[in-house]
Amino acid sequence: MSKLAFMIALVPLLPLLAAAWIALGYMLGWNRGEAGERETHWVALSAATVAPILLTATGLYTWLSGGSTSYWLGAWLDLTHFTAAISFRLDALSLTVGVLFSVILLLVTRFSVNYLHREAGFQRYFMILSLFHSGVLLVVLAGEALLAFIGWELAGISSYLLIAYAWQRDIATYNATRAFVTNRIGDAAFILALFTALSFLGTTDWQGLFAAAQPESDLMMSLIGFGITLAAVIKSAQFPFSAWITRALEGPTPSSAVFYGSVLSHAGIYLLLRISPLLEQATLLSYLLFTMGLATVVYGWLTAQAQTDIKTSLIHATLVQTGLMLIEIALGLYTLATIHLVLHTLWRTYQFLHAPSFMQQTTKAVEPPPLWLRNKTWLNAAALQRFWLDPIADSLLVRPTRKLAQEAQLFDERIIEPLTGQPGSSNLLAILSRRPTIAGSMPSLESQVGTGVGVLGVLMQWAAEALEWFENRLVLQGSGNGLSRLTRFLGAQAELLDNYLRQPRYLLVLIAATLVVIL
Amino acid sequence: MDFLIVLLLLPLGGALFILLWPNASPRLIRLLALSTASLALLLSVVLSSAIDFNNPAVQLFSKYTWNPRLGTYFVFGVDGISYPLIVLTQLLILIALSVSGSIKERIKSYYVLVLLLEFATTGVFISQGWALFYVFWELVLIPLFFLIDRWGESQRQTAALNFVLYTMGGSVFMLLSLLLLFDANPAHSFLFDSIKTAAQALPASEQTLIFLGLLIGFGVKMPIFPLHGWLPLADVEAPTPVAMLLSGILVKMGAYGLIRSVDMLPQAALQLQGLLVALGLIGIIYGGLLAWRQQNLKRMVAYASVSHMGAVLVGIATLNHYGLTGALTQMLGHGLVSALLFMLVGLLYERTQTYNIDDYGSMLATTPLLAGLMVFALLGNVGMPGTIGFVAELHTLVGGFQRWTWLIAILSLGVLISATYSVRTAKRLYTGPMRGDWSTMKDLNLSECMAGMALMAATLWLGFYPTLLISRLQVSVSQWASAFVQGGL
Repeated sequence: MSKLAFMIALVPLLPLLAAAWIALGYMLGWNRGEAGERETHWVALSAATVAPILLTATGLYTWLSGGSTSYWLGAWLDLTHFTAAISFRLDALSLTVGVLFSVILLLVTRFSVNYLHREAGFQRYFMILSLFHSGVLLVVLAGEALLAFIGWELAGISSYLLIAYAWQRDIATYNATRAFVTNRIGDAAFILALFTALSFLGTTDWQGLFAAAQPESDLMMSLIGFGITLAAVIKSAQFPFSAWITRALEGPTPSSAVFYGSVLSHAGIYLLLRISPLLEQATLLSYLLFTMGLATVVYGWLTAQAQTDIKTSLIHATLVQTGLMLIEIALGLYTLATIHLVLHTLWRTYQFLHAPSFMQQTTKAVEPPPLWLRNKTWLNAAALQRFWLDPIADSLLVRPTRKLAQEAQLFDERIIEPLTGQPGSSNLLAILSRRPTIAGSMPSLESQVGTGVGVLGVLMQWAAEALEWFENRLVLQGSGNGLSRLTRFLGAQAELLDNYLRQPRYLLVLIAATLVVIL
Repeated sequence: MDFLIVLLLLPLGGALFILLWPNASPRLIRLLALSTASLALLLSVVLSSAIDFNNPAVQLFSKYTWNPRLGTYFVFGVDGISYPLIVLTQLLILIALSVSGSIKERIKSYYVLVLLLEFATTGVFISQGWALFYVFWELVLIPLFFLIDRWGESQRQTAALNFVLYTMGGSVFMLLSLLLLFDANPAHSFLFDSIKTAAQALPASEQTLIFLGLLIGFGVKMPIFPLHGWLPLADVEAPTPVAMLLSGILVKMGAYGLIRSVDMLPQAALQLQGLLVALGLIGIIYGGLLAWRQQNLKRMVAYASVSHMGAVLVGIATLNHYGLTGALTQMLGHGLVSALLFMLVGLLYERTQTYNIDDYGSMLATTPLLAGLMVFALLGNVGMPGTIGFVAELHTLVGGFQRWTWLIAILSLGVLISATYSVRTAKRLYTGPMRGDWSTMKDLNLSECMAGMALMAATLWLGFYPTLLISRLQVSVSQWASAFVQGGL
């Protein structure tokens, strides 16, 4: 039982180890450059190969032996009020999606070996891809929402890193940040759900969540459901959170294929399927999902008509399909949604991987948008501009936040920094003016040891100076030297006494005195 | 065959061996001393398997009559409180010996004295009778006096004399207290157990007076705030390995003695609890602020020791389970970290001939190993999570909070101050403008690197897996604290 759990744990662990190995190799310099490409892709490929095989084998074994679907590896945090365990769930849904994602990642990894040959970031790319592989498998196989969240974050951060693959270009890093920040909204919702589950139920185990959902759906359960749903729809880029996904296409094409064309955008759908017992209880959420799905279908369909580059139109076609899946889930057609997910993932990966050679494969010019759309100018413009989702988000969220940040910074510079004594940006000129002495490597005459800046620093300096005076004057001088001075004084007195006593007359007097006392 | 006595006599035998070996070359002497210390460390670690840490009684107990008329015995034993300190002693002696390569003159007597110091310190920790304890306590002074006096730096004579006068002065009070206790003991024995039973019968005011005497005696060694005058001087003037031992083990003897006295006179400890915690908290802030003011690196580390031992005192003063666990963990953690700091500061001095912080700068590129270890040691000094200091601070905070609630915020203030000077020092040493030309400076050699890594590994190991230590402490600590649970606290 626990051996099997360990085997399942190995499935997401292997790509993680591969990523760690590649990173270590790069840091220590043994797989850098073109010479290191062979070892790098060999490591990544082996991990990516073993993972699906292992998953299939354990899946077959549990299916044939009719064992349970949940596997408990060990407690991670075991506090009195809540427990977080490392556990896995191997049911029909996770097994199907897990094998599917894992095989696709294997294929894409293999594809990337040739695609990225002689690229400067070869090792980095494979490291991130393996990291992503690990994260996605963790999301799929986790038996706990908390564990799934770890995978979720791993996938998120690797997505960020791959969008910024060409970090030398400003636009790539800007887009990466934008995509990441949008996804963080979903992550915050996920954390809210986790927090609610932990504080009210004491567990984030899927089974435990569903069991708690059975009797009635109250506010707490809707909160959990809402948090996870929000995370899922943002990851799947449903309307109105669709804007980030076009920015995310900045990464190398195989990564776009695997992240946005297939695996990552379907991870959100998977998460919704996973919490389907929760959704059934919360009818409000189903309405929400239905509306969002419908909006996404319309949005994706319209924009896909008008887009002018292959990757963007493909991603909007993906949105149409994921929107449909959302509608299916909202209607309770979970099996249909699962089959839809599998088929669409396979097809879209294939299309995305073909995108770079699209020019060679097409013989005639690409058709313009349909006539009815071109006739409606405003709709065409809206579709072309992707309904201005980005500018809207900018004016509603980004600009006010930036304003607030500016004011906060002003407050910080004017009031806080002088009080705490930090060399803030406002003091930059003062620092620069001291630059020549620093550059001339002249040791500054006054030492800055034990001097404080700012209100607290100055208070601390005063206290320390007073204590130092006390220490030097009383403790070190007074008692230290005083002790030896006292000894020396007593020694001198004793010597004096001894001198007297050595003279016979005093000795006689002493003896006489003793005798007098005794008698 | 009693392994505790073997452990005790091993360094003494090693010292005699070196002493009697005719015309030994420096290499051979070093080898002999190192192998003796390694054997002792090995033995002390293996000893753990022979000890039942779940049994509150004293383990590996053995008793031989010394002088029946005076009630003195050669009586040895360990428990969960003393065992970690015994291992710490053996470990630090080994590491101090391995970085003693810079000692070039009078090698034979140096190594003999360090081994004698090991003998005496181990004796303090395994004695189970106050008479024997006192003998070893005083015996520690002799090798230490010569080690500081002969191999120290420019002001070594003053420092050595000052150190011995301070400690002896404290010992007088301690001896008086012990004699009073002996006098009150109808069984006429100096055994820990026997005296503890007898002490309960004394009137409360007398118990308090006796405890005050012991507090002065142990407080000098520990050192407690107004009695710490010897430490900065001795630490600065002692040669590096001896400074490591001074603040690594020697000051722990004081804290250990205090823990035993509290166990013996719980009523008095309860009476003086306020005084103890006040002294501890003052020590934390006082030592921290003075460390922050020091330009001399070695002095800074010395004052940091005062601050950390203040935290140990606070832990003891809580008189509860968490507090003492924190105090003992802190003793161990401070032993490892301050030894590492003294070692690195000493190695820095060997290379640059200066202790002044202002003379350093931008040394990260030239000596990455030294820099890395130093930054780690400074972080360990703050008690970063992941180092043992964090475990210690947490326990002390929890224990202190149970007893005094908000007052314990001062402890956190102490942590903040220690962060201030630690980070300041790391910044001054390794970043910023270049002061002086250190571009040709050599990085750590193999043995130095291994010694540093060993200390770092121990700090991290216990920081990430404190159960290793705490599971061994637990039963003894509970027994110690039980006196106060019943006492109506």
